[in-house]
Formats: sequence, C-alpha cells, structure tokens
Amino acid sequence: MRAQADRVLGGALVALAAGVVWHAQSLEVAFAADPVGPKAFPTVVALAMGACGILLLLRAGTVWEKAERVLPGLAAAAAMAAYALLLAPLGFITASALLCLVIALAFSATILQAVVTSLVTAPLLWLLLDRVLDLPLPAGPLGF
Amino acid sequence: MDSIAALMGGFAIALTPTNLGLAFLGCLIGTAIGVLPGIGPMNAIALLLPFCFALKLPPESALILLAAVYYGSGYGGRITAILLNMPGEPAAAITTLDGHPLAKQGRGAAALAVSGIGSFVGATLSVVLMTFLSVPLARIAVGFSPADYVALIVFALSLLGAVAPGNAVKAWAAGCFGILLALVGIDSGTGVERLTFGSIELLGGIDFTVLAIGLFAIGEVLLLLETRLRATAAALGHGERLSLKELLACVPAMVRATGIGFVIGVLPGAGASVAAALSYTTERRIADRAGTFGKGDLRGVASPETADNAAQIGNLVPMLSLGIPGSGTTAVLLGALLMYSITPGPLLFTQRPEVAWGLIASMYVGNVMLLVLNLPLVGLFARLLTVPAWVLYPGVIALSYAGVYAVSNSPFDLLLATAFGALGYVLRKLDVPLVPIILGFVLGRLLEDNLRRALSLSDGDVLALFASIPSLLLWACTLAALVFPLIRRKV
Repeated sequence: MRAQADRVLGGALVALAAGVVWHAQSLEVAFAADPVGPKAFPTVVALAMGACGILLLLRAGTVWEKAERVLPGLAAAAAMAAYALLLAPLGFITASALLCLVIALAFSATILQAVVTSLVTAPLLWLLLDRVLDLPLPAGPLGF
Repeated sequence: MDSIAALMGGFAIALTPTNLGLAFLGCLIGTAIGVLPGIGPMNAIALLLPFCFALKLPPESALILLAAVYYGSGYGGRITAILLNMPGEPAAAITTLDGHPLAKQGRGAAALAVSGIGSFVGATLSVVLMTFLSVPLARIAVGFSPADYVALIVFALSLLGAVAPGNAVKAWAAGCFGILLALVGIDSGTGVERLTFGSIELLGGIDFTVLAIGLFAIGEVLLLLETRLRATAAALGHGERLSLKELLACVPAMVRATGIGFVIGVLPGAGASVAAALSYTTERRIADRAGTFGKGDLRGVASPETADNAAQIGNLVPMLSLGIPGSGTTAVLLGALLMYSITPGPLLFTQRPEVAWGLIASMYVGNVMLLVLNLPLVGLFARLLTVPAWVLYPGVIALSYAGVYAVSNSPFDLLLATAFGALGYVLRKLDVPLVPIILGFVLGRLLEDNLRRALSLSDGDVLALFASIPSLLLWACTLAALVFPLIRRKV
C-alpha cells in the first residue's frame, strides 16, 4: 500500500486538473478584449498537469517514508494554524511566545529550555521588528 | 567599454553607506545560513523578502541584500561539509569527499582556507565574466517578440524535467501547479475572477512571499521535525596551516573550476550542485596522478568549492539578461524583482541600470567582504553548529510569520502560509521537487501575458508562435528537453 504514494499523487493531480478545466470553461467573459480570453491558458496548463498525473498513475511509485516522529510535526502545524487566528486578539508577543514554546518542545527541548527560549525570542523579535525596524505588529490587550 | 562605464555607475550605487551595510549584512547572513544544514539560501531569501518590501527598501538595495545572502551561502556550505561531513547546502556535497578526510587528519583549517580562497576566486572571476557578457546576451533578446518569449519561457520550464533525474514528470507537474497558482485572482485582461473559489482574500492573487515562506521556511521546519538531528562537529584541527606552495598548486584547479562552474551556471536549469560534481570529476581525471583524491587532497576541496560559487554567479546572468531564472534561488530573486514591478530582461540594463549595475558592482565588493569575513572568522561561524535546534527554529518560524504579516497585515495570509507549509511537507515526502512550483509561479503570468499578446498580434493564429527563427530553435530545444527524460527513464 505504501508504495502506491505516486498513484495517489497522480490521482490527485488528475482530479485537480479536471477541476481547473471545468472551472475555466465556466468563466463568462462579458467582452472579448483579445482573441484568447481568460479560459484557454488555464485549460492548457491544467491539461498538461493532468497528463503528468496520468503518467504517474501508470507507474509503480515512490515509497512514502514513514516519519520517525509524528506528534511533533502535528503539534507544530496546529500551533501555526492557531497562531494565524490568535495573533490579532492576543498581540504579537504573547502569540509568538506561545508559538515558540510549542516549536521548541517539538524540537525536544525540556520544558524549562522551551519556556526560556520563548520568553527570550518573542520580545527580542518584537523589539527588532516593531521598535527598530518600525513595522507595526498587532498589540494585544496588554498593549504589546 | 560601455560595460566599464556602466560598472562605474554601478559602484556609485553599491558604495553608498546603506548599500554597503546591506551587502555586509547579506554576506553575514548568507555565510551563517550556508553553515546551518537544513536552511539554505532559498529559505533565507524567502524570510528576508517580506521585510525588504515592508521596509520599503529601494529595489537595488533589496537586491543587493538578497543577492549577498545568495552568494554568501556558497561560502558557508563548505564549513559544515568539511567539519561535519555533511553539506550545509546541497552544492557542498562534493566538498565532503576530500574536505572531511582533511579535517580528520587535523588539517581542517587548511581545507577551510583553501576552500574560502577558491570560493572567492570562482565568484570574483565569474563576476568579471558577467560584467562583460550580460549586455551582449541581453542584446540578443532585445529583438524578441512576444511569441519568442513564449517559446523561451516554455523552454525554461521544460528544462526542469531534465534537471530532476528520474523525476521529470513530477517536476513538470509541479511547474504546471505553480503556473495555476499564479493565475489565482482577477484576470488583468478581462476582469474575470479565476480560481478564487469565491474567496475575497484571493481576489488580489496569492502573494509571492506567502508561497515562498510557506514552501521553503515552514515546510522545511515541518520536515526537520520528523527526524532527529544527529551531528557532532570535528574540531578545526591545529595541524599545519595552508602554505603558499600548496595554495599555488591549487590555482590551476581553481581556474578550470571557474570555467566549468560559470558555463554550467549560465545554462538554464543546471545548478551549482551539477557544476561542483562535474568540476570535481574533471579535476580528478586531469590532475589525480598520485591517487590522492578522495583521501584528503586540497585540490579536491578547491575545485568543487570554486565551481559552486562560479555557478551561483553564472546563474544570475540569464536571470538578469533574459528574465529567465536558472535555479530555485534565482527564481526567488526574480520574484522579488517582480514584487517591485521590475521585469528583468533585456531592457533592465538600459531602463533600470541602477538595479542591474548596482547589483553587479556590489558583488565585487561583497566577495571581498566574504573573503575577509571567512578567513579569520571561520571558527566563529563553525560554532553556529552548536546552537541547538530548539533555540534556532522557533525563531525562524516566528520570523517567518512576522514577515508574512508585515507585508499584508492579513490573518488569512498567515493561514495560507501554513497551508503551503503543510503542502510543501507532503510534496517533499512524495519526492516532488518544490523549485518548479516557484519557477512556474514566477513565470506563469509572464507566459500568459506574452501568449495573449502574441495571439492578439496575429489575430488568434496559433501558427504565429512558430513563425520566427529564435522561436523555432527554442521549440526544438523544448521538444528535446521533454522527450529526453521520458526516453531515458525507459532504458
């Protein structure tokens, strides 16, 4: 089953290509500014991508190497997604410190190491970006 | 002679205090990035790009900084290769062959010195070649019609398959995917929304920084997370220092490597890794009379390191003169220029000389800085290897997100970057090269614009795409680049 990774990829490419072609054909152009219009190019590119997908479906695939560790990656990805949603309400320093904490733990830091890392990294970045480089970052309820 | 005058104008730009400082900063970051395995120049440039843009650096200053990171990384990769037997960046893989044996014999310092000097020789001679070759090359392309450009861009994309051995189909698919990503948003010709899935945030298209940071910073860290990093650095070694006689013995190797590296670099598609490997095997065939290559021969360190840096500079030539990037990192640099609404290509040298010549002049200065930085401070850079991952990567990730936010101030883009990170991780696991996605993304709109312009001029007659001699030649090359990997795979 694991050696089927390329077949799955090929199938996904074909499905994606079909979706794009269908979408391109559904575009309604009010006026014709040029003889090509917005449909032709995405259609051709999607067909090329679909052809690559079919070629991949036809051959035995790459083996999907099992990860040595799964949990850290998932935790990091979840923390990143949460960061996107929490940045504005929590403010840059708090949100970044939480993100750094999770990433440091994911890289096998001890709790103490991770806490120190996040408490140093987040304020340092804020100082550099907000104060020195003057790029406004979102301030949280505490004002930073 | 115009080249010399133009270069002097470039020095006037490159030697302003801001640009000197940025070049220095870029050299420092570049070397450090090169040292660290797992983070390459592409990651670093993707990280810095949004800040250049948010800080409203003028385009020539941004390019001077980003390019310094790029060629600086060629100096850093060798340090890890020699001390750790592990390339700090892919092109330094060959350097481990002779570099690490030398380090184990206690001559690490000598190997580092000769490779640093080789990097400088390769890069500087290549900048000289670039100074005189860029404008003639650009002049060939000045007469290109939109149809010729279509052929040129398709050719550049088709070459992706030739570079990824055994993986041509995936490289092409990734290139197509990159083009489709570039089409998301409002079509400039007709105002129609394409591939936006009804999302308001996607109307303006996908921001280049979001894609680059997602694929190359976030995805890379996710990939690193699943394996444990195991590395122990060899000591610098207190053995004999590099003697002048030894250095002189390496000079012919360096000159040959510069030639090979530069030519390989200018050819689109082939990158610094190919140049380093080819240069090493050539040198061994010519000069290995005593059979010392692979056991710790200084020439075996000098040759790939010189070729690596020469190829990196060579890679910039088609990017600046034709607007066609030859490698992933130059594609990111091209994307940076496009963000500034500057289209590299034949007209760059006449219309925006401050950008083109400012960059070239800054590379003369930057390489001197790198030599001065690298010879005495090599131990300091090597100590970067002792920074634990749990200190380094939280900072990298936080900086990535801050960069995305600084450009757009949009939480949606932060989510999109995370999604691209996850996608990059999955694609890397599936052995799909990511560079074609970036190339497709950067070239996609240019390709469509030129295609529509060409067909407007011909009133929709497709045969017009094959009407000129340059376009016919390029289409023939494209056909070869498409067929060759498919046939080779079956043999």
